Amino acid sequence: MDAHIKKVYVPMTETGFYILYCLQKENHGYGIVQAVEKITNGEIRLAPGTMYGSLCKMEKDGLIKFTAEQDKRKLYIITELGKEILQLELKRIRRLYKTTQEEI
Amino acid sequence: MSKNTKKQFRYFTIADQKKEEEYLRKMHNEGWKLVRISGLCMYHFEKCEPEDVVYQLDFDPKSNENKSEYIKMFSDCGWEYIQDFVGYSYFRKPCSEMNGEESIFNDAESKTAMLQRVIKTKLLPLMIIFLCSLVQFRIALISHSYVLIVIWSVLLAVYVVIFVSFLIFYIKSKEK
Repeated sequence: MDAHIKKVYVPMTETGFYILYCLQKENHGYGIVQAVEKITNGEIRLAPGTMYGSLCKMEKDGLIKFTAEQDKRKLYIITELGKEILQLELKRIRRLYKTTQEEI
Repeated sequence: MSKNTKKQFRYFTIADQKKEEEYLRKMHNEGWKLVRISGLCMYHFEKCEPEDVVYQLDFDPKSNENKSEYIKMFSDCGWEYIQDFVGYSYFRKPCSEMNGEESIFNDAESKTAMLQRVIKTKLLPLMIIFLCSLVQFRIALISHSYVLIVIWSVLLAVYVVIFVSFLIFYIKSKEK
């Protein structure tokens, strides 16, 4: 894996994480906004400017790919590189969580 | 001009984005809804019911490759697209449709990324013109042409003010 990509995305923003996480299934930007609102009980509401910029950047970096256009909404799905990055990030989050479970 | 429309001339530099958003929100609060911006920063309004409506500007030259998709993303999230003006896209959303404070950006990173696009697309060309002006200023100084010295001094001063105020705006946004 490109060391630069790894450096840019691990650790990643919460927005970035939820986009990659949701795109394990094909979806469009607004679909991700709705999915994230649901799974976080309304705690995280992604905004369109952030979403648009993140999707463009992730597509350019090859973490997600465009699959089809549906009613002016672009559908995306995660790529192999995206999955690798997501796993690295999950590993990092698990390590953080594990640390907090242990006594100081 | 009919009583139901109003035109105002306002000039906002790239460092005044927040001021411009606040100006449009204030106008809407007073019952003047933005219709369009034309030519040399002329803001056209029409009379409406006073309402608290948040106005926001985005800057993303890439969005031009697929404008309808870009606009759709915002309208799905409740942001009405008004128009593009000098590279900025104008959006608004009534507070009554929001759950608390809402913005077109939900984190500092994406807001900073937008400002970086402004720097890349707008500030860098300005910088080049600035450097050319500096050369012209030197030539004017050497040739003792006072009219030119005054003209270039004013221009350079304006540039310095814009650069410094944008820098302050950028740093402040990053701190948030």
